[in-house]
Amino acid sequence: MTRHIHRRAFLRSSLYAAGLAALTACGSTPATARRGGTLRAAFTGGGASETLNFLTGPTALDSVRARAMHGKLGTLDPAAPDGVRYSVLEGIDVSSDLRTYTLRLRKDVTFTDGSALTTRDVLYSLNAPVLLGALPYLKPPAQNFDLGAARIVDDLTLVLPAKQPIADGRLVLCQSTLVVKDATTAFMPDMPTCGPFRITEFVPGQGSTLARHEGFYGLALGRGPYLDSLELRSIPDSNARVNALTGGQLDFVGDIGPVKARTLEANKRFGVSSGQLPHATSFGFMMNLAHKPFDDVRVRQAFKLAADREGMVRSVLFGRGFVGNDLPSLGFADYAAEIAQRPHDVQRARALLREAGAEGMPITLTTGSDVAGLVEVSTLYIENLKEIGVQATLDQRPPGQLFADIKSYYQLPFTATYSPPSPPLSGYANTRTAGAPSTFGFNRPDIDALVLRARSATDPAQRREAAVQAQRLMWEEGNSVLPVFAPTINGQAANVQGVTNEPWADFSGAFLA
Amino acid sequence: MKLALFLVRRVVAAVLSLVALSALVFAATDLLPGDAADTLAGAQASQGDRDQLRAQLGLDRNALDRFTSWLSHAATGDLGTGLVGGRPVAAVLGERLPNSLVLTALALLLAVPLAIAGGLLAGMRAQRRSDRVISGGALVLAGLPEFLTVVALTAVLSTWLGLLPEVSLAPVGGRPWDSPQVLVLPTLSLMLVGVATATRLVRSAVVDVVDAPYVESARLAGVSGGRLAVRHVLPNALGPAVQAVAVMFGGLTGGAVVVETIFNYPGVGYELQQAVANRDVPMVQGLSLALCATALLALLAGDVVATLLDPRRRGL
Repeated sequence: MTRHIHRRAFLRSSLYAAGLAALTACGSTPATARRGGTLRAAFTGGGASETLNFLTGPTALDSVRARAMHGKLGTLDPAAPDGVRYSVLEGIDVSSDLRTYTLRLRKDVTFTDGSALTTRDVLYSLNAPVLLGALPYLKPPAQNFDLGAARIVDDLTLVLPAKQPIADGRLVLCQSTLVVKDATTAFMPDMPTCGPFRITEFVPGQGSTLARHEGFYGLALGRGPYLDSLELRSIPDSNARVNALTGGQLDFVGDIGPVKARTLEANKRFGVSSGQLPHATSFGFMMNLAHKPFDDVRVRQAFKLAADREGMVRSVLFGRGFVGNDLPSLGFADYAAEIAQRPHDVQRARALLREAGAEGMPITLTTGSDVAGLVEVSTLYIENLKEIGVQATLDQRPPGQLFADIKSYYQLPFTATYSPPSPPLSGYANTRTAGAPSTFGFNRPDIDALVLRARSATDPAQRREAAVQAQRLMWEEGNSVLPVFAPTINGQAANVQGVTNEPWADFSGAFLA
Repeated sequence: MKLALFLVRRVVAAVLSLVALSALVFAATDLLPGDAADTLAGAQASQGDRDQLRAQLGLDRNALDRFTSWLSHAATGDLGTGLVGGRPVAAVLGERLPNSLVLTALALLLAVPLAIAGGLLAGMRAQRRSDRVISGGALVLAGLPEFLTVVALTAVLSTWLGLLPEVSLAPVGGRPWDSPQVLVLPTLSLMLVGVATATRLVRSAVVDVVDAPYVESARLAGVSGGRLAVRHVLPNALGPAVQAVAVMFGGLTGGAVVVETIFNYPGVGYELQQAVANRDVPMVQGLSLALCATALLALLAGDVVATLLDPRRRGL
C-alpha cells in the first residue's frame, strides 16, 4: 500500500517536473502547484559564526537564505532577451554608446514593513558591498559603474554611468545584487526585506525559519511563493544531509555530489535535481608558466589533449555534468561555442611532449576535496597524464585547504581549481587580466585588449568577433585545462517540486505536491 | 586550611596553564598557512581585495600585537569577535558549550556505572576468562575508529530499526534536549568511546588494590564475592577512577568532533574545528580557552574528590 502511494507520488512528481520549468519561464502558475505547507531544506552552513549579513557570508546556506529573504535585481539567463530574467526590475535600458544604464523598477515591490521599493534602495544596495565591506565577488557593480555619479530620476528610474563603455553591464548588475532598504547597516531578523519570504527566526549554525512574504509582488501575478513557510537548516556534512533526508527529517538537501545522487535515485521515495547551464561550476587544472616546461605551449596543449573529458563526466559525475572545452563560462551568451571541441588525443599529446623534449616529465598535481567530485576528476586526470607518458602524482589536500594559503597556492606548478559560474568577459576582467595571480603567469595584454574591445564595442558583430578571438587565444595557448562543468546536485523528497538552481537553490516557486 | 592552600595553588597553576596554552594555540593557528582573509576572499579575489579584507579584519598587525591585545581583553572577560561572521566569541560559547557539556555528562552518566561494574569484575578476576573477555572487549572498543562505531550504531538503530533520527536536528531556536531523541545516538557513540577507556582504568586500579593487606584481612575474615568488591576494594580504587573520569570529561567535551560532525550535533568541538579551518584566530582562541578551562576545572574537581576519597591523602 505504502509503496503504491509512493509510486503514484513519484509519477505525479515526474510530470510536475517535466512541465514546471516551461510554465514558470512563461511566468504563469503551474496548474498543479499546491499552496501551503512547510518545506525543510539543508545546506552547507558556516557554524555558529553565521550572520544574516549576506555581504560577508561565504557559504551555500548564506546565499540560499539571502535569496529567500531579499529581492534580487535579476537572474542570469542566456535564453532571456537581455541575458537576464528581471526580478524587482522591469528592465535595464542601455544607451547606444554603452556608457549609460537606466534601471527601471517594478511599481509593485514592497518591503515586509509595507514600504515601497525605490531607486534609493537599489542604489544603496549597489553601493553596500563597498560601503559596508563585502566579499570580492559582490563588488563588480561598483567596479564597473560610477555609482557616485548615479542619478535618481524618480522613485522608479535610476541612471548609472559606466566607468567605461561596457556591453555586459546587465550581467554585472544582476549577477549577485540583492536589494536591501536604503541606509541598512545591521542585518537583523526584523529588518525589512522584499524577497519571497520573511525571516521569523534565525539561530546561527542551526538554521532559520521563514514565512511567506504576503506582500511579495509575485503573488499578485499568480506566482509563488506557494509555501507557507520554509525551514533552512545548517548541516555542513553531506552524508549527514543525505541521512536527514532519507530519515524523513528534511524534504530537500543541497549539494549531495554525484555518488550520493546515484544512491538516492535508486530509491523511489526521493528524487535528484541538478542545475542547468550556465549555472555549473568549472573544474580545472592550472599550469604555472613560472615552472618549466609549462612555458612551452606544446606542453600545455599536450596536457589539454590528454584529458578524457567524456570519461570524467561518465565515471566521476555519473553523467551529471558537462564536457568542457578549456574555456570558462560554458553556457553563457558570450561563450565561444563555435570553437571546436578539443578531443581526447593520446597520440597527438605524446607527439607534442616529444617535440617539446618533455617526454616522461615528472609532475605533481595538487588537489583538494573542497567541492564534491574535484578529487575524483583529478585522480582520473592523473591516469590520463600517465597515458601520455607523464610521471604524474597526486597531492591531495584536506577539505577546505586547497586555497587556505593562497600565496603558496599561486606558486604551485600544477594545481586543481574550481570556479563558480560567471559571464566570460566580465569574469575575465575581474580576475584574469595580466598580472593577476590567478592567471598563474599567463599574462597576455593582447587578450586583455580583446576582452576590453569585446566589452565596449557598440556593434554586436565586432563584439562577438573580439570575444571569440580572445577565447580562441586562450583555448590555443592558455594554461587552463577545464575538462568538466559540474552543476549543483540536490536531493529531495518525491513530493518536492519547483525548486530552481541558478546557481543557488531558489524556493520562490517551490511547492509540496 | 591545607585543602584551601591546595586549591589556591591549583587555581594559580591553572591560570598560568591557560595563559601558556593560549600563547601556544595562538602561535599554532598563526603559523598555519593562510589566514581568514584568504578563506573569506576565495581564490578569484585580487591581491588588492585580499589586502583590504586583511586590513578590515586587523590581520595586518603583527602577531605579538594581536596576541597581547587579545590577552588583555580576555583578562577582562572579553573574548573578542570571530573574523568570519563577526559574532562575539562569548555568544558562540554560550550557545555551544552547554550542548557539549550535556552530551558529555550524559555519556559519562552511562559510561561510569558500566565502567565501574566491568572494571571491578575484571580486576577482581584478573587473568581469568571474565577478565580476558572484558579487557579484550574494552581494548577492541578503544581501538575501533570512532567513525566506525558511529556508523555501526546508526546503521542498526536508525537505518535498520528506524528507532532514532540519524541527524541531531533540534528545533530551530531550541536546544538538543528539547528533542531528547536526537541526543540518543551521539550520547551512545560518545559513551562507547568513554566506557572502553574507563573500564581499563578502573580495572588497573582494582588490580592494584586487590592484593593490599586490608583486602587480604577482609578475605581471611570471611568476606568474599560482591561484598568484598563493593565494601573493601571499590572505595580504595575509586580515587584513581574518579581522576580518570575527570580526564575523560575534559577530553570528551572538546574532543567529540567526529561524533558532533557526523550527527550535526551543535557542540563546541565541531565549532572549534570549523574555526581552525577558517583560520579564525579569535574564535579558535576563545573556544580553546573555554575548553582548556573546562578540562582544568574537571581535573581540579577530580583531584579534590580523589583526595577526599583517599584516606591516605586527606591530610595532604
